[in-house]
Amino acid sequence: MRFNQDKKTVFLDPHTELVVSDEKLNIILSPSLYWVKKVILPLKYAREAKKLLESLFEDVLPEGNYNYSVYKASEEGEFFIFAYEDKSILELLTKQGIPSSNIGSVHFAQSELHNLQGATKINEMQSIYVKDGIVTLVPCCWIEESGALNLEDIKLSKHKIILAQFGHIVDSSSLIKISVILGLFILLTWVELFILKQDIQKMQLQSSELFRKYKLKPTIFQNKALLKKYTKIHTNQTKLRMNFSKELQKKNIQKISYKNKILKVIL
Amino acid sequence: MNRINPLYVGLLLLVVLALSVFELNSSKSELYEAEASYDKTAKLAVELSELKKLYASQKNMQMKLKRILAQNVLRNAGIVASYKKSRAKISAETLDKTTLDFLMAKILNSPFNIDSFEIRKLSENKASFKMEIKW
Repeated sequence: MRFNQDKKTVFLDPHTELVVSDEKLNIILSPSLYWVKKVILPLKYAREAKKLLESLFEDVLPEGNYNYSVYKASEEGEFFIFAYEDKSILELLTKQGIPSSNIGSVHFAQSELHNLQGATKINEMQSIYVKDGIVTLVPCCWIEESGALNLEDIKLSKHKIILAQFGHIVDSSSLIKISVILGLFILLTWVELFILKQDIQKMQLQSSELFRKYKLKPTIFQNKALLKKYTKIHTNQTKLRMNFSKELQKKNIQKISYKNKILKVIL
Repeated sequence: MNRINPLYVGLLLLVVLALSVFELNSSKSELYEAEASYDKTAKLAVELSELKKLYASQKNMQMKLKRILAQNVLRNAGIVASYKKSRAKISAETLDKTTLDFLMAKILNSPFNIDSFEIRKLSENKASFKMEIKW
């Protein structure tokens, strides 16, 4: 019987060699891949505990780039809190031949195997064992009778994590800051763009108003042609008046005529 | 595992920003062009409107000419005027010097589009007059 969309479930541990084909897998993380604590907090919901996680692991974890997870263990305010390194888990997955595209869901052994009875062998050297509600990794020789781990019938819980593939490159707070700044720039650009579009529209309306007010022809070409025509008339008429007043200075004029833009004076 | 690569998110935002800036610059150019075109059109409109007022209004030109010819000095000077849709013809077989000076001064100081005219001296004080004005 398979659950969780019929995906195969595997147990990921640095000392266990996995034999997998190219298929989607549900991953259960060995206790060696995370840090876990059972804490009692005066909180109602796990989401309220999330912001406290980093400080709850302070001074406990070796140096690294950790992500944190939490789920409620009981109604008495008991929480399981976890710290894990996405990068090391992803590296191990790659080493085991599991590409990130084949990862279905990722769970902690704590949330999936806490009901184990006795010790369960996970490889030649190690077993897992539930002690005081915590799934722990122990050397095989500590416990004489270890059964093999059977994940065929396991029903996975809803407690899962999402591995941040690039969390070690860009930490989420920097990414949020950069995204906010970029978002602000985009917003400012769009606001300016909106104002510009309004101005363009206003300018086009004013141009139309100009055509209406001055009763212009529909196209600039026609209006330019008209302007050229009237400018020519104006130039000719101004020239005529200037030449006429000049010619009138002459004496004994018998005839003065103007035709085809030529002023003739006969003395 | 469907976590989106944050670098892709950053890249997407950068691309959106770049496209927005490109669109912004295009719009700025469009606005400058619209402003330049408006200024050009406004200048053309004013010039054309002024010139049309001077030369294209048949009604105004005709009224102006009629007002000139109706003046006391010219009313009884034997000036014949005929008006057509696009032109007017005025002529006088004989005009004395004072009347001719007065008439020419009035016509030349008004923005008539004079197509042709002829003034022929008849005697020391008299001349014949013909003129065609277009509008």
